[in-house]
Amino acid sequence: MNPDKPRRQLGGELVIPVLAIVFTLYFFSTIWNSPWTAQVSAFAVGSILLLVCAMFILRCILSIRSGEGSLGFATLFSREDLATGRIGLLITTVGFCVLIEWLGFTLTTFLFLSISMIILAKGKRPVFIAAVSAAMALGGWAVFIWAFDTRFPRGWFETTMKAVLSNG
Amino acid sequence: MGETSAILVEVFFETLSFWWVIIPTIFLGLIVGGIPGFSAANTIIILMPLTLAMTLQTGLVFMVTLYCSARMGAGIPAILVNIPGTAGAAATPLDGYPMAKQGKGQQALAISFVSSSIGGLLTTLVALATMPILARVGFYMHSVEMIVVMLFGISLIASIASQDMLKGLIAGFLGLMIGSIGTDVVYATPRGTFGFLELYDGVPLIPALVGLFAVSEAFVIIEKRVIVAKEGGAVKGSWTDTFDGVRIALSRWWHIIWTSIIGLIIGVIPGAGASIASFVAYQQSRSFSKTPELYGSGHPEGLIAPESANNGVTSGTLVPLLVLGIPGGATAAIMLVVMQFHGVSFGPSLFESQPKIGYGMFMAMAVAYLLMFFTILPLSRYMSHVTTVPTIYLAPMIISFTLVGGFVPREYMFDMYLALGFGLLGYIARRTGYHVAAILIGIILGPLLERYFLLALKKSDGDISTLFSSNLGNVLWVGLVLSLVLPIYFGRRRKQKVIPT
Amino acid sequence: MTFSNLNRRRFLGTSIAATGLTLAAPRIARAADYPDRNISVIIPTREGGGADRNFRAFTSIWKDKLGTDFEPGFFPGASGRVGYEVYMGKNEPDAYSLIFGNMGPEVLNWAVQAPTFDVNDYFYFGQVDKDPGCLFVGAESKLQTLDDVIAEGKKRKLNVGTSRMAHPASIGLLALGEETGAQFNLIPLSGGKNTVAGAVTGEVDFSVLTSGSVIAAGDAVKTLLVFGENVVGEALDDAPSMNSVYGTDLPEMLSARAFGIHKKAADDYPDRMDHLNTTFKATFDDPALLEAYVASKGTPEYLSYGGIDECEAFKNAMLELGAKYKDLLSGA
Repeated sequence: MNPDKPRRQLGGELVIPVLAIVFTLYFFSTIWNSPWTAQVSAFAVGSILLLVCAMFILRCILSIRSGEGSLGFATLFSREDLATGRIGLLITTVGFCVLIEWLGFTLTTFLFLSISMIILAKGKRPVFIAAVSAAMALGGWAVFIWAFDTRFPRGWFETTMKAVLSNG
Repeated sequence: MGETSAILVEVFFETLSFWWVIIPTIFLGLIVGGIPGFSAANTIIILMPLTLAMTLQTGLVFMVTLYCSARMGAGIPAILVNIPGTAGAAATPLDGYPMAKQGKGQQALAISFVSSSIGGLLTTLVALATMPILARVGFYMHSVEMIVVMLFGISLIASIASQDMLKGLIAGFLGLMIGSIGTDVVYATPRGTFGFLELYDGVPLIPALVGLFAVSEAFVIIEKRVIVAKEGGAVKGSWTDTFDGVRIALSRWWHIIWTSIIGLIIGVIPGAGASIASFVAYQQSRSFSKTPELYGSGHPEGLIAPESANNGVTSGTLVPLLVLGIPGGATAAIMLVVMQFHGVSFGPSLFESQPKIGYGMFMAMAVAYLLMFFTILPLSRYMSHVTTVPTIYLAPMIISFTLVGGFVPREYMFDMYLALGFGLLGYIARRTGYHVAAILIGIILGPLLERYFLLALKKSDGDISTLFSSNLGNVLWVGLVLSLVLPIYFGRRRKQKVIPT
Repeated sequence: MTFSNLNRRRFLGTSIAATGLTLAAPRIARAADYPDRNISVIIPTREGGGADRNFRAFTSIWKDKLGTDFEPGFFPGASGRVGYEVYMGKNEPDAYSLIFGNMGPEVLNWAVQAPTFDVNDYFYFGQVDKDPGCLFVGAESKLQTLDDVIAEGKKRKLNVGTSRMAHPASIGLLALGEETGAQFNLIPLSGGKNTVAGAVTGEVDFSVLTSGSVIAAGDAVKTLLVFGENVVGEALDDAPSMNSVYGTDLPEMLSARAFGIHKKAADDYPDRMDHLNTTFKATFDDPALLEAYVASKGTPEYLSYGGIDECEAFKNAMLELGAKYKDLLSGA
């Protein structure tokens, strides 16, 4: 084989099959004592899934033994991810979901948009970013909270606006 | 007959005089259709007090227009930023988004608008003409037949997976397995729910849809400056591209016709819907194409098929509503409620007692599609600029927009986390070469397939031979096998023709 | 991974924070002050459905008697379970939060699959309406009379559509089978819309369902038997009641919407409970209620007052029926 050819990074490719196997086994455990109607199609689909995953893992083992592949995760994570701000974006996204419960919809949306844009823009044009984020967050507030009255978490911004609107 | 035509002409002009309702509603529909999770049905519910306050005819025109335009609106973010806002638009990004990435967003929008409005208009007229026959479709398409229809859609997994069959199947079956989460159809035993009550009704579609497609894509696109692949100058922003899209769509008029008819027929079946129709139409379109390998890479036909089909469904769902009094889908069910409020009772006698209502709904739909064609098409030029927004701004917007969209249909915070979870799954899948579309087809069609499968089995007391017990079902089985085998055969013949020369 | 840092309790907490932020601050209120703010009501079904409509019609009158407004929060999912779990798990038992549920199918559910809370920790105190289940065929069905159905059911096992297994109408059908010896196979079609469609298109031989949805289906269907009293007459094709045809002594198989409250709230604030009870009753005595019902196109014949005792009896009857038919309904 060609030694210059980079090895296929199979570690990353194995993540989905491993998740699939774990999930399928968990799923089976929840229906073990259930009526047949709950089992029939899940067992059928699950067994095929386990089978194709097993075949894939076998293929990976063979290709690792022949030296064509390695257990690397380069396809999934790399140093690039830090540089491009991808990790930063992931953190702000998780933060968005968590903080929205405490800060309310509008404020969290504003913070999420501005912080992640600043991370991605590597700190350039902060004023422009803040303005865009504020406009988007206010637009979202107008549609989701004010007009359609959805059940998004309310924070101090929403409560203040409600008080202002009802008094004014 | 003469009497009916007189009514039709009269109703047509009456409906046209409602242009002042139709045009603003078209824009409202575009917006709510474009926001993931909102949908026409939800909007009509939210605006119910307003709808009920309108006169019968205004309310009717309003609801029908909103229904059609929301369907069309859902295609816009699906094409431009890979966010299908409803399950009915889930097949649209398969070829629509690659087109946008190639800088053909404007053409793609034009193609989508043309095939949606022509598909919608055409099927409305077909439905109008053949209503009594069409309404019978539901009498023949029972659970056994529907199993085969589902398999048509699900077999797409195999086509999508053709590059690496094993990985494609893993993705598809993982999707089917995720789709099995929730209580079983018959005895409501919870399965694979991780203890979350929010998953008892199955995985909610919108969070899965936006997570897998849009959130994961947002994490990928930040590598590039803009969505459009060829940096700079790819989007011309002139009318040429719009006309080009119109030309591309119109030159495939036959394609629009038959894929929209697929949508019409599936739409007529109570309980089936736009998601099934668009996947089946896409699968059929790919099977009978001379260039199946182009699908998924921005092939116009791969965009035309789901868009004309899901608009065909729109007219289809009205048929059982009007003729039988059974709503074909969620939006039709709400129309039923509103109409009943006004004292209209649907069912076999409607066309005798209140023919103007019955024909009026179809006419409203036809007029809405007609007006939509002229009002929306010019906008494609401006909408397509979304793809030139730098990804450093676009990606966070997509993420917040879609997480919010995941929340909206059920208003559970859980669904927002779920969308994020699916986003991560989708990202891992993309980076490691698994097709998110294959996962998604499993999630969307899996529960439907299981439902029909279990109903058929429960009806026959567990006798599996029931799957081959109906004549129509058997014809469909043969059709399914042919649509899987023939493309391979034709593909080989084409290759043989090329090689010997 | 995504799921590990989430649990239901936390999620539920958030949802509640969203609906009831104004209720967050606990305060000590005397009866004279009650109610000094809006009362939040959890509705465990989808917005825009039948419960929504009845709720709006009823509270439009009740709010004037009570002197405060109602704020509905819709928590559909898991056949109403999500709504009840939110109510029992997270809402303060202070009589400022109620649940508007259906004592038929929802309580029947508890018998088949127990909830995480004790079913005695809440009770219904005000029944708004009751709606009997019924048996109906599609307009084009070969089975056009009850005799046709029974005769055919003795020849072969008939497939019968129902909205879900654990539903009072399903129990009505099982009782009919026991009484006549006809063979029935219940096919759950998920929801009223599909159950009607199943009977009309011939997916199943016929269906059983709450009669309100059958009335709405108009002349697409024909009702043959009511599992309770037919108080609407022609709207249900003058179908007779099960007890009158077979001389049975079955309780009515009803879907019955009612307001419920935490038991703790009633224990801790008896004066508030009293206020709720009297105003609820007064709402029924007001002729405006009927008008509101007619205006919202409800079925006014189904309006039916029930106090704490009636509701308690109903709930217990459902739990008993559920326990009796548990195996058939759960496939165990």
